[in-house]
Amino acid sequence: MNRLLRNRELLVFLLLVVMVIGVGLVSPHFLSPRSLRNVANSSLILILVSVGEMFVVLTRGLDVSVGATMGLSAVVLGLALNAGVALPIAILLALIVGVLAGAVNSVGVAIFRVPPIIMTLGTLGMYRGTMRILTGGSWIETIPANIKHLAKLTFLEIHMFVWVTLAVILLAVLVLKKFKPARYFYLVGDNEEGALFLGIPIQRTVFVAYILAGFFSAMAAVVFVAQVGFVPMQTGNGQELKALAALVIGGVSLTGGVGTPVSAFIGALFLKTVDSMLIFLKVPGYWSNAVGGIILLVAVYFDYRLREAVNLRQLLSRRKVRMEHIKKVRSAVEANRNGHTHEES
Amino acid sequence: MKLTRWLKSWEFSLAVMLVVEVLVLGAINPAFLKVEDLLYSTNDFMHIIFAALAMTLTIITGGIDISSTSVMGLTSIVIGLGWVAGMNIVAAVALAIVVGTLAGLFNGLFVAYTDIHPLVITLGTLFMFGGIAAGLPGVLDFLGFKAYGAAGFSAYMYEGITGFPQSFGDFTQNSIMGLPIPLILIFLFALFLALLLHRTRFGRYLYLIGVNQEAAEYTGVPVKKALILAYTLSGLGAAIAGVMLTSYFTSARSDLGSKDLLPIITAVVLGGTDIMGGSGTIVGTLIAGIFIGYLRQGLLALGVTSDVVPVVTGFLLVVVVAAKLLVARFNEERLNRQALKSRQEEALGGLGKEVS
Repeated sequence: MNRLLRNRELLVFLLLVVMVIGVGLVSPHFLSPRSLRNVANSSLILILVSVGEMFVVLTRGLDVSVGATMGLSAVVLGLALNAGVALPIAILLALIVGVLAGAVNSVGVAIFRVPPIIMTLGTLGMYRGTMRILTGGSWIETIPANIKHLAKLTFLEIHMFVWVTLAVILLAVLVLKKFKPARYFYLVGDNEEGALFLGIPIQRTVFVAYILAGFFSAMAAVVFVAQVGFVPMQTGNGQELKALAALVIGGVSLTGGVGTPVSAFIGALFLKTVDSMLIFLKVPGYWSNAVGGIILLVAVYFDYRLREAVNLRQLLSRRKVRMEHIKKVRSAVEANRNGHTHEES
Repeated sequence: MKLTRWLKSWEFSLAVMLVVEVLVLGAINPAFLKVEDLLYSTNDFMHIIFAALAMTLTIITGGIDISSTSVMGLTSIVIGLGWVAGMNIVAAVALAIVVGTLAGLFNGLFVAYTDIHPLVITLGTLFMFGGIAAGLPGVLDFLGFKAYGAAGFSAYMYEGITGFPQSFGDFTQNSIMGLPIPLILIFLFALFLALLLHRTRFGRYLYLIGVNQEAAEYTGVPVKKALILAYTLSGLGAAIAGVMLTSYFTSARSDLGSKDLLPIITAVVLGGTDIMGGSGTIVGTLIAGIFIGYLRQGLLALGVTSDVVPVVTGFLLVVVVAAKLLVARFNEERLNRQALKSRQEEALGGLGKEVS
């Protein structure tokens, strides 16, 4: 039981399954392959943004510009496609924009040591403004069909983007587990001073983290443009906050050093599934924010109580061991003294 | 000595920057320098200053309250609902301020009684309060209460709850002795917070908590009480901002102020408050808030589209913080070099004595 409670991802996943089955009992339609596929498709954007954000959070940083980066990449992608650029090159361009946007954050945080929240809040404004300047403030409405076609490709009844996203997450998990420099994200976030004394290249690690966040946001932008088929100015609005909420729910610690891509994946999937459920239960869309906020608060509060309880239990068991030890010593001393008195008499 | 220290202070530099800003903008466009316009244009950004002033307290404690933009919308909706329900407008405003303050209290209790980072907590309440503000009229309407105002649902979606009495809209337009009422309220609120922060024990507690919360706790500082009060005041500031905005637009909307988190935090940080906590002043935030507001007004007056404004604000925020950090690092290195030099001289001097 203890191990289950400590495995946050599994716990959230089980809760998710229970909720899906619960909603399925109320309206069986929710469990149809078609509706589950919709849930999966609509989760992809938040999952990608969350996994990118996770790298930054692992280093004890924070990137609130990921939503704006996603919007900027989407605008660049839309403009490039409309200008007649070939699809692969346009996608590459969008990804490069994401990487560059991340690199600007990297320069500020890693080199100039600007606190992450300040740096990324500043670039949030800059990217959003640039996005509007590029388009003159109007939506990009006509997107060529070739990219929309990407969102319709399926393999084994499941959309290709889902497979790609799963593959990317699997790759991220493998790299973080097996590739030694990737462990630096955890080291830097867990104890920066310690990492410094160990000779870990902190600056380089932080630099890469923000670039990865930008890269994943750009991937989310590609999915967005393909799925939605137009680029409104609100693209990516508030994604950064939703991604942070997803991370916290999935068990990634905002104080750094704890979490895996799977945590980010599960947290984002949980939030988006709840969104889909609310729509399915015909709850008006604007409640999804309130529900998301309440879930986040309940999750962190539950997590806090759990940590307290585990700590208390550890303390109590330590005390028990100690008391037994004291008892043993005392009885040994007692026995010894009794032995002495016998000899004397 | 005191004067030179004062001249060297960040607040003084900010004030100089503000004057230069106004003069430059005035040189480009003389219409900008009309005193009346300068005073009244503060109405466009007064809510940012209110929220920033209140946020200064929580940032000084090493936390942050990002839910204040949602509290603005919540306050606004409560005024609208109260008015539609037939309440006196003053009572509706009072109710809204109470609700906003309670929202702050909720944040405060959560922050004080758990070890969860305030950013996470207020992120949750940002969604929660915002969602409640957006959803409340719909629920009330579903329950048979005509919550959308006289004009009905489609008008509500377009312009929020309207139909407030003339006097409510006039409140932010009127002036006393040439000063617009919102500006007077800003100064009063700033004075209140400044006295609280710089002249009371509570204020010192906030700084202590920001420097080292654990140490503050062991020293006997009532950390929980101080934190709860700081976040409650943050809610109060956001609530007043929400009331002002509702009066200014004469309509109650759940999304009023929801896009202003960037300028609010920029005002606090530009004002010299350390985002990690432990230092900052109310005066700094006040001047920085006016600086950012005029910058926006000036850019718009120069014919720059409003799209460029966040680019400039964001750039300003990053550059100012980076420059301050560089200057601090440079100063530290200079002091270190001086210390090293005097130490070397001392050592050499000692050597000389021994030889002679």
